[in-house]
Amino acid sequence: MAEESAARKDDDIRILAFLCNWCSYAGADLAGVSRLQYPAKVLDVRVMCTGTISPYFVIKAFQEGMDGVLIAGCHIGDCHYLKGNYMTAKRFQVLRETLKFLGLEEGRLRLEWVSAAEGEKYAEVIRSFTEEIEKLGPSPLRKKKAEVGA
Amino acid sequence: MSDLKSLIKEKLNDGADAFLCLKEEEGTLLPALITDADSPDLELAAVGEARYPLGKILIDLLREYPDKRFAVLVRGCDERALIELSKLEQVDLDRLVMVGVACTEEEARACGCPRPYPSEVALGEKVEAAPGRETIAEVESLSDAERLRWWKEEFSRCIKCYGCRNICPMCFCKDCALENPHLVEPGVIPPEFPSFHVIRALDMAGRCIDCGLCEEACPADIPLRSLYRRMQEIMEEKLGYRAGESAEEKSPLSFLGSEQDIKKLERE
Ligand code: SF4
Ligand code: SF4
Repeated sequence: MAEESAARKDDDIRILAFLCNWCSYAGADLAGVSRLQYPAKVLDVRVMCTGTISPYFVIKAFQEGMDGVLIAGCHIGDCHYLKGNYMTAKRFQVLRETLKFLGLEEGRLRLEWVSAAEGEKYAEVIRSFTEEIEKLGPSPLRKKKAEVGA
Repeated sequence: MSDLKSLIKEKLNDGADAFLCLKEEEGTLLPALITDADSPDLELAAVGEARYPLGKILIDLLREYPDKRFAVLVRGCDERALIELSKLEQVDLDRLVMVGVACTEEEARACGCPRPYPSEVALGEKVEAAPGRETIAEVESLSDAERLRWWKEEFSRCIKCYGCRNICPMCFCKDCALENPHLVEPGVIPPEFPSFHVIRALDMAGRCIDCGLCEEACPADIPLRSLYRRMQEIMEEKLGYRAGESAEEKSPLSFLGSEQDIKKLERE
């Protein structure tokens, strides 16, 4: 998948995607083997279930300079662990509203349900999310250059 | 309010092994644990104007003395804290007797708490107060970029004293996320945004009972209460929950819930 390239320019956007093992990661895989075209600006992190994603991880991602964070997992009712994604759905609401109140653009955080059979949906989600983040530009939470080097 | 003394004696007679309240000693208010009616502290017992997170003290007391019963003097905020702490398995309400005190009008107005009295009032007169929402409304009227600048400016004064966490009656974890070097870089002052403050805010979702002690304690005058109040509003708007209200209903962030609830949430 997308690689961290040394030649990355400052205004290149970076997206972190948390994908659940059973649905969305398999969906991403299907998109790959089907040779669907989608932008390669996404670093993905495979988790067993979206329910294991602590809101801390998302804060950390933004802290480390990600411009957008995507969480993708099984549709409600299809969770491999039955109800893991219920927690995700609830936490997501709280997280999104909190970040909005603090002034981070709403579009930088997204939750999508993508099944193992939805390779096309995965590609489409990545296309539209990348487009949205590109429109928003680099995150205002990115550390300044000087701070990064220090 | 001189009948605080008789209330203390009464509760000690009725089976409480100790009474937790405040005492005024040489002009200073401090917590006191009165274990018998002959205690010299009984004469010093006072409602006082200062507040202490007594729930925090009770967590330790209940644990250290597993077969004792405690009576405790509670304001509205103390009661809400104890209710929420019991659902988080930190205190056992069956071993507690709460003696309610209503905040005075002056206190209630200065604090701006949503309910400046507990469910049963033994001392003082109930008064209503309108919770202040001016700061939240001001922040909400700003654009995203301005809002971010506003908060960053406020948080830039933080000296990372942990006062907000230490005073908070709802903070009891042994391992605090704010001291986890993977989440908050050690030795950086002011702490980086968003890590420190947003982590604390998220942890207060479904927990903060709006006592305002954090903002009172903050030496840097950071409008913490407005942030956590907004967290309460979010919990109420999105998940229909208000911390400290019901002794049975738990925070939706601490149990799974039903498919129906989630579908409804998604349609919004
Ligand atoms: S108002 Fe502050 S101190 Fe009180 S419960 Fe909420 S976060 Fe904790
Ligand atoms: S009390 Fe104020 S200065 Fe101290 S850590 Fe909390 S926000 Fe920072």
